[in-house]
Amino acid sequence: MTMSESGGTYIDNFPAEARVVRSALYSSFLALALGGLFGIIQTLHRTDIYRFIESDMYYTVLTAHGVFLVVTFTIFFLVGVFTWAVTTSLDRGVEDIRFTWLWYGLMTIGTVMAAAAILAGFTDSIDMSADVLFTFYAPLQAHWLFYLGLVVFVVGTWLAGADWFRSWWAWKQENPDERIPLPTFMVLTTMLMWYIATIGIAVSILVFLLPWSLGIIDSVNPTLTRTLFWFWGHPVVYFWLLPAYMMWYVMLPKISGGKLFSDPLARVVFILFLLLSTPVGIHHQYLDPGIAEGFKFIAMTNTMFLLLPSLLTAFTVVASMEHGARQRGGTGYFGWLKALPWRDPVFAGMALAGLMFAAGGFSGMINAGMNINYLVHNTLWVPGHFHLTVGTASALTFMAATYWLLPQLTGKALWNRSVALVQVVLWFLGMTFMSNSMHRAGLLGIPRRTAEPQYQGFEFEAGVGSVAELDFQLALGGALLAISIVLFLANVVGTAFNGRSDDLPANEFAETLSGPEDSPQVLDNLKLWTAIAVVLVILAYSFPLMSIVDRGGLYGPDISPFPVSIETLSLLAFTLEQYTTAAIATTGEFVQTTLTGVIR
Amino acid sequence: MKIHTYEKLWLGAAMVLIVALIATITYGAVGLGISMVDDEEETIDPDALDEDDRFNDPRVEHVGENEYEAYVVARTFMYQPDPIEVPANSEVTFYVTSTDVIHSFSVVGTNINTMVIPGEVSSMTAEFDEPGEYGVVCNEYCGSGHHTMEGQLHVVPEDEFDMTELEVEGDDEVAEDDEVTLNVSVENGMLDDLETTIEAEIGEETFEEDVTVEGDSTYETTITVDAADLGEGDHDWSVTVDDYEDSGTVTVVDDLEDDGGDDDE
Repeated sequence: MTMSESGGTYIDNFPAEARVVRSALYSSFLALALGGLFGIIQTLHRTDIYRFIESDMYYTVLTAHGVFLVVTFTIFFLVGVFTWAVTTSLDRGVEDIRFTWLWYGLMTIGTVMAAAAILAGFTDSIDMSADVLFTFYAPLQAHWLFYLGLVVFVVGTWLAGADWFRSWWAWKQENPDERIPLPTFMVLTTMLMWYIATIGIAVSILVFLLPWSLGIIDSVNPTLTRTLFWFWGHPVVYFWLLPAYMMWYVMLPKISGGKLFSDPLARVVFILFLLLSTPVGIHHQYLDPGIAEGFKFIAMTNTMFLLLPSLLTAFTVVASMEHGARQRGGTGYFGWLKALPWRDPVFAGMALAGLMFAAGGFSGMINAGMNINYLVHNTLWVPGHFHLTVGTASALTFMAATYWLLPQLTGKALWNRSVALVQVVLWFLGMTFMSNSMHRAGLLGIPRRTAEPQYQGFEFEAGVGSVAELDFQLALGGALLAISIVLFLANVVGTAFNGRSDDLPANEFAETLSGPEDSPQVLDNLKLWTAIAVVLVILAYSFPLMSIVDRGGLYGPDISPFPVSIETLSLLAFTLEQYTTAAIATTGEFVQTTLTGVIR
Repeated sequence: MKIHTYEKLWLGAAMVLIVALIATITYGAVGLGISMVDDEEETIDPDALDEDDRFNDPRVEHVGENEYEAYVVARTFMYQPDPIEVPANSEVTFYVTSTDVIHSFSVVGTNINTMVIPGEVSSMTAEFDEPGEYGVVCNEYCGSGHHTMEGQLHVVPEDEFDMTELEVEGDDEVAEDDEVTLNVSVENGMLDDLETTIEAEIGEETFEEDVTVEGDSTYETTITVDAADLGEGDHDWSVTVDDYEDSGTVTVVDDLEDDGGDDDE
């Protein structure tokens, strides 16, 4: 595997890129701080331990919690760490740093727009709100600024991907016979998945929700926009997860003291994610009317096969850790576990994140079971599941990786490694309590996304323990997680105020036991895999989408869908006419003003 | 491609797990007959539910031996009807639709759980063997009052369940030389015949009539008594059919027109 030959830290080799990556990470952590704050407010409110906001405001808090954490926190971290991965593994800076700042700027502007729309919901003095939660299911409607903000943000991520592809093309010109370095390979396949996935959300917002929120169209088809949301909404979970996977593959083996077990299998895993992440979204709609059981079954089968890359990852990561432990003198069937660097927060955080991800994977298998899903759909079980996946596998890995990345990006030693170790362990403990109680509460039928899950006419009956005990566990877990975030942020800030250090490790990633030379060249044929991925998406989605439009109409139940082309054309003509009229009027006014000015 | 032996074994085990999971679900669908909410129902105009035979009057209907259909409307932030009442030892098909935003219809502690999307009708069939009371919650965020959206499903013991409705119309005022009339209608929503007795009491007078109300129909009868027999003044009346009772008061007056004339002045 190629490696940075200069041997210095990242900021030594790429000072300009380090600034962008740092900015992306700091943006990500700001979102983490806000999202975490809203998280603890929610925990205390739901469990009725401490309520200081009105219950209708709970949904503003919940929208902010969701959007800031799963869109802003995760994706800003992703663009930061991907830029690090591409520049480090290709050993070249970005082609044009202004372009890099451009996409970072777009993502920031988009975030500010969406955040403004959401946070305005806290005050009645601004006539704007977006209490639509992360899923923004129509007919619930947000202010147009929310939708537009999301669009600008996503365009920013598209350009970020273009930036990394540009680096790779430039590198390929100079290294025509070399295999794509593994970290870059992972970045590129993830972005190809993202380009395919974001088609769903782009169509949903640009064709339906944004014009609808601006009053250009009167209605939308709720099933259609919902389906387009999940077209994007499932692959986005892999967009959160794959940067964590990348760190498990390219960083964890090295931190463990060894090498990555298999480069070829790592490539296979990322190709499988590219192929299977998108044609599964309908598994979020198992309980939707208006979608045939057959389509749901196809989505389920694809979903189950999507377990494969995660199970392969589990093998490779554990095997790599064992290799590292044995290099460090570990012996025995399980005795090697003791030889791992558990006192290193980078290692401990990533290893604990991986462990919790295994548990999250199992509850995910339950969710994926089409008819078992009846029992858990939209109960608290579901947030229990994804707080183990995005909330731990991704978030805890990101935080652990930060303890390694920050010194690389700042040239300063980490402020306090002990605090960092306490922080990752607290996260693990807090999430154990919280997700355990959420999963159990879900099995009792306690719903998610509810300000007051206490009802007038009936009570939830706990088979083991009691609802009060579950609430207490949830609040305790939430509190530990909040403390953990505070400690994390303290370390970030403390590190930023540290002085420059001269004895930092070099910017390197893991070597491999079995390298790319052990795998066929076809694995690096990105065009082929993209083509197959597109075909799979068309197979999985074309019939369901046609059926949904046929049933409910393109623009909602009131308008008959056929002939679609004529209707779209007439809409387009109408819009054009409006714009033209407006343009003529404006021009007229302008001319008149100018003339008046000149005459005077 | 070089793959380590252990990795091949793991890969094989992973494939077995995946196939086993799919087989489990398939068994649930085919063997146990757990079908998914799907596209078998026609779409509906959410703005014109009052023009729809099923949803203009949300209710439970008896459609076959031990078979019932419940037509439920979800709207911000309530369910209609509430409570939904069905007998034990029955098979109930729920048809649920929404008139505004996306809701859910989730019966706590059971696997009756569906999204309710405006424009679509969700249908699910469930069997209730035992009596019991269940909470119904909306578990899809539907707006600022989402947490108040709840309903109830009562499964009553089979022998206590009926779908009888009693309605009585009686005059408020009757002249002494006229007759006091009670128009009684007994509706039987069940498909089986209802054998019962209509018992009525007007003042001191009592009446009793054994009737058979045919399935899914209404029996109407009129009970009369000479006002003179009751005498001038207020007289309470009541009509009873099984556990249902309707009651009122009739006033017998000397001369109706004069009395009415007085009111006008």
